[in-house]
Amino acid sequence: MLRRVLAWAAAIVAGVVLGGASAWAALEIGRSSFFEQYGAWSHSRATGSSAAGPYTRAIIARDGLLALSAREALYFNLTRDDQGEALDENCTYELVGRAFDARWWSVTLYAEDSFLAQNEDYAASIDSSHVSPGADGRWRARVATVRGDANYWLSSRNARRDFSLTLRVYNPQRDFRADEITLPTLTRISCLGES
Amino acid sequence: MSGWRKYVWAAIIVAVMAHFAFIHAAPRFMMGVALSRLSAATGYNAWTFADRVTPLSRSIVRPSPDFAYSACAYDLRDGPLTITATPWNAYWSLSLYAANSDNYFVVDDREARGGAEITLVRRGRAPPEGAAQIVESPTQRGVALIRRLAPDLDSYNAASHVARDDVCAAFTAN
Repeated sequence: MLRRVLAWAAAIVAGVVLGGASAWAALEIGRSSFFEQYGAWSHSRATGSSAAGPYTRAIIARDGLLALSAREALYFNLTRDDQGEALDENCTYELVGRAFDARWWSVTLYAEDSFLAQNEDYAASIDSSHVSPGADGRWRARVATVRGDANYWLSSRNARRDFSLTLRVYNPQRDFRADEITLPTLTRISCLGES
Repeated sequence: MSGWRKYVWAAIIVAVMAHFAFIHAAPRFMMGVALSRLSAATGYNAWTFADRVTPLSRSIVRPSPDFAYSACAYDLRDGPLTITATPWNAYWSLSLYAANSDNYFVVDDREARGGAEITLVRRGRAPPEGAAQIVESPTQRGVALIRRLAPDLDSYNAASHVARDDVCAAFTAN
């Protein structure tokens, strides 16, 4: 009798575990179909889109719960530098971009845990209302632990390794096209310990 | 059916049911957590003006430091609600999210320069007399979210004053 009860209980537990694992796998596989790559920047069409079914809804909720609709804002993430390496606070980078066909934009630096880096530099974000392009039509911002002589700065102090940048483009115009030319480029300048 | 096969079949049937239950429940669970957090301080049907996003902000991942947020966890159990968003001198938007996480309504300052005023009713229920723009919520509970562009401390403080005039309350006929 006890063996039967244990066998039924084991079957149910195994079923729940299997069902949960297959659901997680389905969402992982499904969300990859929403990703688009523009150079080093990735964009998830799930963020801010409308659900068309239970799987899509679950993916959207996981990737962009309470996000602005795609009509209001587009989100792009960058986790690698121009050499394909993970972003590291021991390195200094230059972010170069130009104006977008949009009403407003910002770039924010997040630590590996997806929260703002734990520092008091008040330099987690730059935005179009405070950034002016140079004579060549491009703006330049330094991504580093110290500002130095840079006009615009994103502080990576205490961001450690595997931090990321998020570009938000608000009210993109119809002409807005995301591609390697329009999106900013991140170049690694130097790293501590490099000769 | 005898032997171990019935247990295998039972495990497979439970797995299929669990799979769809997880997929169905995941967004509702995440919204449930958001609703309980947003209603913790003020309860339902009241705006909460969020603290400025800083490195200490840990409630929502990838928070945007560019915005001043006002959130209202709503509940239509006792009838329609009036929701207003006071205009702001830069970008602002009012978004509504159902309990299953669907973003079913959004309006921004380009469409509503003078601010937004809506009457929120449960889908399928008759709207009240004298209601302003009627929006139907697919679920009894959900979240209203106002975002005001405020990338620095001065604009955040100004937004906090403007947000005091926002309304998220039971509908009353004028």
